[in-house]
Amino acid sequence: MTAARSLPSIDREQIRARFALSYVPERHRRIIAGQEVIVHCHHYNSRIQRTVEGVADIDGKGIVRRASEQAFARQIAYAIEETDDEATRWVVAEELFAELGYGRLDLSKANEGVVTQSAGHFVEGWGVAFGDDRKPVCTLAEGFIQAAFIAIEGQEVEARETECMHCGADACSFTVEKTGAAAEVPAAPERIEGVSMQEHVELAESNIDDQAIINAVVGLAIRGTEEGLIPAFGVYLANTPADVYNGIAIEFVEEMSKLGRMESATRLLNEAGESCAMNTFRGIMDSPEWEALIAPMLQDQSDTLFALVALSNAFGWGNWGVTDHEPGESLEMVSFNGYEALGFLESRGKASEAQCWMLQGVSAGMMELVYGEGSFADRFGTFFVEETDCIAKGNSVCVFSVEEA
Amino acid sequence: MTRRERVRACIHPETFKYFVARDDVLDTWSRLSRAYGEPVVADGFGVVEIRHPRFFIRATRMLNPITVIRRRHCTDADVQAIHDLLGFRPEDCAA
Ligand SMILES: [Zn+2]
Ligand SMILES: [Zn+2]
Repeated sequence: MTAARSLPSIDREQIRARFALSYVPERHRRIIAGQEVIVHCHHYNSRIQRTVEGVADIDGKGIVRRASEQAFARQIAYAIEETDDEATRWVVAEELFAELGYGRLDLSKANEGVVTQSAGHFVEGWGVAFGDDRKPVCTLAEGFIQAAFIAIEGQEVEARETECMHCGADACSFTVEKTGAAAEVPAAPERIEGVSMQEHVELAESNIDDQAIINAVVGLAIRGTEEGLIPAFGVYLANTPADVYNGIAIEFVEEMSKLGRMESATRLLNEAGESCAMNTFRGIMDSPEWEALIAPMLQDQSDTLFALVALSNAFGWGNWGVTDHEPGESLEMVSFNGYEALGFLESRGKASEAQCWMLQGVSAGMMELVYGEGSFADRFGTFFVEETDCIAKGNSVCVFSVEEA
Repeated sequence: MTRRERVRACIHPETFKYFVARDDVLDTWSRLSRAYGEPVVADGFGVVEIRHPRFFIRATRMLNPITVIRRRHCTDADVQAIHDLLGFRPEDCAA
């Protein structure tokens, strides 16, 4: 079931060693092959993709493909070494895809126009979250294949999934057509780092040992198995470049704005975060990881919320903390370098409105999860969030104020 | 007698934690590893886990309860087989 076994001389373990995680503790950043990556689960990833692809009047698949192509072209190019021959370069791309948790691609016949996938993050995720949909779901893989052609061959191609395991196929299949145009690895936006200073903000206290949780997550190998999946906490995780999420969200909001539907777009992105907080975190709270390390720390109901914040920091979501909290009633959080705000600033410049759609949704979703009652549907929308300050607007930090709706 | 509780896991809606009788825990893990492969202790949280194409079988270092996550290709026969190994009989339980 694994790929490209026609190339036995290439040591895949050695190639995997190129993708060792570098973790920046003071900023809670995770870097793999030169790209900041964010850990999210299949539930969130499928939901974001479905949100963007589900709007009839925009080319949602195009948005996902472009964001994926741009960021992964940079990441694959970074991982390739000058001395790699061509076969090795394709294996680097396959193994990066697997390492990040997206699944197992076979790129050995990519130049003949055929790519297959024997396991996929989105195949797993979509089936559970949205069992009813019968369309191919591996759009991010399409963008990744296009990226590999840019990084390895300097060629522009169109990769399209023709068969998907989600629809019952034994493997996902992609066709690759060369457009004939040359393509260069796109330059990364100029990175913004020093926009915030954590020491000037006083965080609320809890019974949670944040550092122990962060150490455990950082110690956990969030790396794809041989089949390229990362089962952990009862979910499938993936390491996605922040540039992919930002590319998708920013272009989605821009395209929707052209149709006069900006508010609807941002609400949908909020809801993906809110749903992620409830579903993913609820799953995590039922996992042996939680039972082993976190459950023994919990004394008050609010400790659950603090533990979830520590986990999300270890996942690279936003280096955020609780500044004020009235259990069951209100929550104020500050984020020092959320990827959404920085990504907007880097690619579009100063914004007129707050931009952290995922963190907004997650902050409300955490309150609904920890203090709400009834089914998720009953809880949804019972807390209201306002991002009063945002780094993207030029503020020094992002501030999220959550109250009962 | 083994009992179970439903847990939420995004991987599969039919996910349960099985509570095995204390004096049968080690034997249960022996049966599970013979059928599905050796358990591995993951770094970080120290979760003990067997990863198999049909199931993820997971527990803390205490080894009990045992969370069984069904994977996409898991069939009714697979479920029956693991229930036998766990000593779980649905007909004995309400859950
Ligand atoms: Zn597919
Ligand atoms: Zn912000």
